[in-house]
Amino acid sequence: MNVRFERLALTTLVMPEGRLDFGAAAGFQRHIEEVLAGAATASAAVIIDCSALDYVSSAGLRVFLLAARAAQRAGISFALCALKPAVREVFELSGFSRIICVHTDRATALASAPREPA
Amino acid sequence: MTEQRLAVPSDAEQLPALTRFLQEFWSAARLPPAQALPFELALEEVFMNVVQHGSPAGTAPRVEVSLSLRDLKLTMTVEDDGPEFDPLAAPPPDVTASLTARPVGGQGVFLVRQMMDAVSYQRVGARNQLRMTKEITRSSRNRSRG
Repeated sequence: MNVRFERLALTTLVMPEGRLDFGAAAGFQRHIEEVLAGAATASAAVIIDCSALDYVSSAGLRVFLLAARAAQRAGISFALCALKPAVREVFELSGFSRIICVHTDRATALASAPREPA
Repeated sequence: MTEQRLAVPSDAEQLPALTRFLQEFWSAARLPPAQALPFELALEEVFMNVVQHGSPAGTAPRVEVSLSLRDLKLTMTVEDDGPEFDPLAAPPPDVTASLTARPVGGQGVFLVRQMMDAVSYQRVGARNQLRMTKEITRSSRNRSRG
């Protein structure tokens, strides 16, 4: 699976593309771990922009759950945004949309991310 | 009625071939693409369950997937000749648990049960048989062929 990254001030945007299935999960997990390790400063935020993500299975949900926990421990704000219907359905049915912050689009996610310290 | 079968060893490397098998069945039967998700997900979850929990070390049971479409009712059957294992016997995860308390495993079969109209397990001779059915709806306008 292809993953793109963007950095906006203290916010790192991660954009997975295509299918996050069992075969893609381990590689995606490594990417997320690297991003979280690199973001570990006060008021940092990680946003997973899912606008190009077509499919997620329980193997992908597991990566998001572990990432959200690791971010919480490190004091990093963690959210997902722009879920396609197929991905949103899996998030809602699993109850993950109640434990992981999900925004409708990137603009809303960025507006909710912590501001840079003055 | 349309029916297709594919048999593979229970090896994670076979997942793309199974997904392709489902996608080809889907387009040949001209089913609405947006409704493939429950079957794609169920195929991955059930197959990976056999690979990860139903294949004792050093063995690779044979997994046979069949898809059968009657009117608009699609039945997917996944059979394997591994040790007896009923994936439906596990309790569902607590979907109200907090981020830290939520168990990492056990989501797959739960999702399959949520998405399908019916899911049943049977031990048939020396094989595990998991059967999933769901009605396909033609409510949305068909896309052009291609």
